[in-house]
Amino acid sequence: MATPSDIKKGIVLRENGELWVVTEFQHVNPGKGAAFVRCRVKNAKTGKTLEKTIKMSESIDVVEVEYRNMQYLYHDATGYTFMDRDTYEQVTMSDDDVSDQAKFLKEGLELMISTHEGKPIALQLPRKMTFKVIETMPAVKGDTASGNVTKEAKTDGGFIIHVPIFISEGEDVIVNTDTAEYVERA
Amino acid sequence: MNVSHLRLRSQVVKYIRQFFDEQDFLEVHTPRLVGKPGQEPYLEPFWTKVIEPNGKSHPAALITSPEYMCKRILSAGVDKLYDLGPCFRNNEPFDGTHDPEFLMLEWYRSEAKLTDIMDDTERMIAFVAKKLGNSRFNTPFRRLTVEQAWKDYAEIDLAPLLEDRQAMARICLARNQSVALDDSWDDLFFKIFLSEIEPKIGREQPTFLCRYPKSMASLARLSSEDTRWADRVELYIDELEIANGFAELSDETEQRIRFEEEKKIRKTLGKNTWPIDERYLSALSGLKKAVGIAFGVDRLVMLLSGAASINEVLPASARERFDERF
Repeated sequence: MATPSDIKKGIVLRENGELWVVTEFQHVNPGKGAAFVRCRVKNAKTGKTLEKTIKMSESIDVVEVEYRNMQYLYHDATGYTFMDRDTYEQVTMSDDDVSDQAKFLKEGLELMISTHEGKPIALQLPRKMTFKVIETMPAVKGDTASGNVTKEAKTDGGFIIHVPIFISEGEDVIVNTDTAEYVERA
Repeated sequence: MNVSHLRLRSQVVKYIRQFFDEQDFLEVHTPRLVGKPGQEPYLEPFWTKVIEPNGKSHPAALITSPEYMCKRILSAGVDKLYDLGPCFRNNEPFDGTHDPEFLMLEWYRSEAKLTDIMDDTERMIAFVAKKLGNSRFNTPFRRLTVEQAWKDYAEIDLAPLLEDRQAMARICLARNQSVALDDSWDDLFFKIFLSEIEPKIGREQPTFLCRYPKSMASLARLSSEDTRWADRVELYIDELEIANGFAELSDETEQRIRFEEEKKIRKTLGKNTWPIDERYLSALSGLKKAVGIAFGVDRLVMLLSGAASINEVLPASARERFDERF
């Protein structure tokens, strides 16, 4: 048995025979209450999502999943298709299953996918990925005077992140795929 | 380090003081280092020792709140007071909304009602925001009872479930929450509350959540109209819990019972305990219908500056200060 402190994105919990993938989690200490972990979980079978709150002192049943080396191939009406780099087997995950992480997928990207009984459950993207800034405002002199000034930048992944003012168009930046935040210049 | 946020923080503190000073609240500077800190089951004081030159050693802790001493001063004959200074809590997550050392504001009024302290809170926030030219808070804030919040957001009638652990466990199971054997009624309450209700409170409008089940009363008086509930209030803005206030319990006997219960919970949780603060207990009878509230100043600065994390309004984050890897 594991404890709620082992909870992270992508792990799979078993409860009453059902499997739930943790898609988000947060530690919460309500005023005058015990410590809890609040998770958003998705039912591995039905796709239904809900919020679950687990007390820190509880034990939880974490399901062993198999991590497979995959490569992202393409997206079409059926969803996102990946290929197992060891067996060349192809698997497809729906748009809903990939959800927010889709923006980080580039053709040919190598990543891990956790599977349970052969069924893909969750993507494990590289924690840091490099993207090119394709659109951002040029920096103006004096902007940095007041400290941590950031601006919006559009990346070649099509998503927008906040970058420091000194980053210009055409530069490569490293993005944290857990938080979708700028880390540093590539 | 974000210097503009630090500048804003400094202004916020000045305007808070101005607000209370102009209304003749006495600013008190209560000790940070005490022998008997608060004994709430889920708060952990930092412990150290005070050593006299002759080698005599006394256990000492940093306060988790200035509450005990503030109430002793009230009881000694001050009607309105505030305390603004750091408080310390161990075992809190480094999650962007907590820091082991944080800036706490508490204020108290004698001969007052819980609604008076809610009015103060609303006016103080509006005052500070206006001084800073910030118009993000619309007053009046929403006032919502815990009972109504359960109805509105989870469609659960809470009153019949009070003190009925079995009924609460059934509700949890029906809503896909786990039920552990050692879950208390409060734990089960929080599983539903934190999953379905709390995330929706204060989102559109700052909201006072008031009238808590009496098992969560802690240092609060029970409501005079209905003793199943306690006169306690929390303020939520966006997703942040900003303040927690009580109509202060002044019944020494009742307080002693609650302290003993809290001690028992600490023991069950495998935590250390220490003697009850008798000076605090004997001061309670001198409280004249007091109300008080504890208010997280760092979190107000986060809201006013738009900072996404408490670390942005501090000169250095907890990670930076304590985690070797950073």
